[in-house]
Amino acid sequence: MSRWRRSVDELQVRRRQLGECERGQEALSRVTSCFQQLSSALGSSCDGSFLREEMEESRVLAYKICCGLSRRLLGLLAEGDPSSSSPGERESAERIWVLFLSALEHFLFDLQKASSLIGRFPLTQRCDRRALVNTGSCDTMAGVAARAASVQTPWITVEEEPSPGLTNHITGLEDLLQDMQLKVSVPFWSVEATQQAWAEAADLMEDSMEDLMEVEVVSNENKMNSCCPPCCRLGCLLCLLN
Amino acid sequence: MTIRTIRPNRGQHYRPRMHCIKKLEAYMVEMQDPKSGLKGTEQKLNVTTIPHVITGQDIIAWLLNKMKVTKEEAEAYGTMLVAYGYIYPLQNHRKLVMCNDGSLYRFQTPYFWPTEKWVAEDCDYAIYLAKRNIRKKGVLEPFEQEHYTHLHTWLNHKWDFIVMQATEQYKAGKDRKKPDRVVLDCQERAYWIVNRPPRRTHSALDYGTDRLIDPTIEEKISFDQHRRMNIFYQQAIMRSKVKSSVSLGALVKFVNTYKSHDPFLAPCLPSNPWVTDNDTYWTLNIRRVDQCTKMRVERWSFSFFELLSDQRGRDDFKSFLKKEFSGENLAFWEAAEELKWGSASAIATKAAVIFKTFLAPGAPRWINIDGRTMGLTVKGLDHPHRYVLDGAQTHVFLLMKKDTFFRYLKSPVYKEMQNRALNPEPHNFSEAQLEQNSRNRSLGVHPITVWQQEEEERAKAAIASAPVDVKAMMSKIDRK
Repeated sequence: MSRWRRSVDELQVRRRQLGECERGQEALSRVTSCFQQLSSALGSSCDGSFLREEMEESRVLAYKICCGLSRRLLGLLAEGDPSSSSPGERESAERIWVLFLSALEHFLFDLQKASSLIGRFPLTQRCDRRALVNTGSCDTMAGVAARAASVQTPWITVEEEPSPGLTNHITGLEDLLQDMQLKVSVPFWSVEATQQAWAEAADLMEDSMEDLMEVEVVSNENKMNSCCPPCCRLGCLLCLLN
Repeated sequence: MTIRTIRPNRGQHYRPRMHCIKKLEAYMVEMQDPKSGLKGTEQKLNVTTIPHVITGQDIIAWLLNKMKVTKEEAEAYGTMLVAYGYIYPLQNHRKLVMCNDGSLYRFQTPYFWPTEKWVAEDCDYAIYLAKRNIRKKGVLEPFEQEHYTHLHTWLNHKWDFIVMQATEQYKAGKDRKKPDRVVLDCQERAYWIVNRPPRRTHSALDYGTDRLIDPTIEEKISFDQHRRMNIFYQQAIMRSKVKSSVSLGALVKFVNTYKSHDPFLAPCLPSNPWVTDNDTYWTLNIRRVDQCTKMRVERWSFSFFELLSDQRGRDDFKSFLKKEFSGENLAFWEAAEELKWGSASAIATKAAVIFKTFLAPGAPRWINIDGRTMGLTVKGLDHPHRYVLDGAQTHVFLLMKKDTFFRYLKSPVYKEMQNRALNPEPHNFSEAQLEQNSRNRSLGVHPITVWQQEEEERAKAAIASAPVDVKAMMSKIDRK
């Protein structure tokens, strides 16, 4: 009787952990996408100390989520587990494993790019601002930064570890990736996508209609705005012939 | 979690021809200087205005001023900047050229600049396509759709992550101001046009294969390497020399003879199958064809070796020799070739057959070679190896070349061949026809069929060349 109750408790614990992991994966996606938006502004005319601070904060948050998620996933999928979980749970755990590793790789790529860009365009002196590329964007990226900051870890953080600097973070992530791949062997071809191809377009119907129309009009304008001066009709012809 | 089996990882990571990137970046940074760089204007769109737009002629004027080169060089340099993705056009985003007029361009953000170390990954491209799909609700360009379906199959295991990331990036993008969203959209589109170009467009980032060693580092040559180089060059000096006028004259003669047949210098008639997907050229030039092309027949007259290498030419030559009743030379040459290229276990039997048919005194198809070569060959046949008939074969080849070949070229057989040869019209396909051709590519002739045909030919030739039984012939004549 007590063994049965213990197994039920274990099942509930596992299910809760799985739920945490899924929400952790979503949070990681959100933070990494905000980080990517922020780093695409590096070196451009809207680069500044505010941007770099926000990037640091989101990177630190991503680091926390990565650590927690990797710990929990390793716990779920460690080999030689005495209480074998049901095949359905094992499958969903493996799915989250594969998605987490893909997210880690993607984030690592972004981090490496961001670190080389920060090295390329250091903002230590006033004259460095002259080197920034005039890309046409003038936003302070406050909205994206706020979005990144609004992400919360789905578990309560009790332990307070110091977050590493950028280069240490990169090396730490590389080590973590290798480590995880060594400890648990999940054949990643066994995971299948839950969504059909082309399905994501239908999901976001409601709020993107007017958006679509506006941006489309803008891009039409791009084509028609052949800004040759009115006298220079020959210029247009040459452009077309080219 | 990425399948990286494109090529085995032999440590080949260095992408050559990319070290121009450092110099290009330096120029890009100089262009941004507020005092001596380029001044941008504003682009007025329907709802917003976007700053930092430059015209093509401004860029080229700045390049002319800075680099002090001719106008053509500055235009070429500008086109290179666009093709590599540092500057992108706003009006015709697919055509990556720099026009020297008022067409508008904008600088690309450094995040999307080309790098030597990192390739644009498929995973990122999949996220971009998914994002575009969300924005445009399934209305993608045809080449983008193809890429999408391909990536959906190959990256199926991380497709959920890709969709999640795409939706998150889309939502994060909405948190930015309107003009910036337009700018970001243009930037991303330009980046992927450069890195995943549409079909049949030229990509400037095509660099060939990756290299094992970093091409930009300086190598130190050791003492031992210097010593070896010295020995090599000293031995090279001691070799016998040919006057350059003589060797260059031979080269010039070769080029003049072959220049209309060269696949790079002259267009291939009717059309190059690799380019237009139409294999008329190959079907016209197989072995068992009745009418040959003019180019092929002309090629036979260049040298005897050309005639023999082309199977069709060899067949023609064989039929000519049959009329002249002197086919034994060619038959011996072919038998020797078969011995040379055949299997090792059959060498002994083949050598015995050849001796009986061609070399033994009183043999049915006795070949007329000089006594010394005959003696050496017969002695070598005691212990036959692959190259035992080489001397005799060369002698026979020279006999045929000096005597029979020129008679063949003047013969009515060859003249008739030349008259009957056809000259195919060059093809002129339109774009739609080219697409059609690429869809109708056929498999071609199966190699087993070709092999069976060759076996039949060989059997027929064996029967035809079987030594004439004198007694049977005499009895046939008597019976008549």
